[in-house]
Amino acid sequence: MSHLHYLGVLLFIGVCGVGVNIGFKTGLKKRLRIFLVTDLGILIVYLAWDAWAIHKHNWFFDAKQIIGVHLFNGIPIEEILFFIVVPFTTVATFLALKKLTGWEADRK
Amino acid sequence: MIYSDIALDAIMIAIIADLFILRTQMVTRGLFWLSYGLILPFQLLTNWWLTSKSIVMYTPDAIIGRRLAGAPIEDLLFGFSMILLTLAFWEFFSSKFSERNG
Repeated sequence: MSHLHYLGVLLFIGVCGVGVNIGFKTGLKKRLRIFLVTDLGILIVYLAWDAWAIHKHNWFFDAKQIIGVHLFNGIPIEEILFFIVVPFTTVATFLALKKLTGWEADRK
Repeated sequence: MIYSDIALDAIMIAIIADLFILRTQMVTRGLFWLSYGLILPFQLLTNWWLTSKSIVMYTPDAIIGRRLAGAPIEDLLFGFSMILLTLAFWEFFSSKFSERNG
């Protein structure tokens, strides 16, 4: 089961994001297309950094704690999921706080 | 200390993108800082989770060596740049798409 450790961390972050979305009715689901474009930008920038850092051995992963699927340049698939799940939860938090505080209500 | 250098560059790029390229002005908005303040403890929690179990490890030469919640201090810069860029992109594309639709 240890190969699911990194995936477990991602699941935790993802559950937080989905929970915030449902709990606060952020409307993110209706704007999924905007999120996809946003995330594409993040994926390009941060996977480039990640690929380079892994290549240069700035950081590395315990092979026993990842599922072992790599996409390119030795990037574990968990890293790609990380750059989807974290921005998703970030936007969800932002939208929930916007709704909760009523700040910037005049702003689109 | 290459991670340190790139993390600093990432912060500057994210701030320049936010203020001058995307013009989303996130760093001047209270809502951004409130969001960051709420996300930060969760970043520290997951950093601790990933590093205390050695799921991810760092080459000592790549970092200055100071750690917070198990992870290199550089991770704070990495996280800040990513949260800022995510929300700047979100705001930028939100206004672009609504212009097109309305």
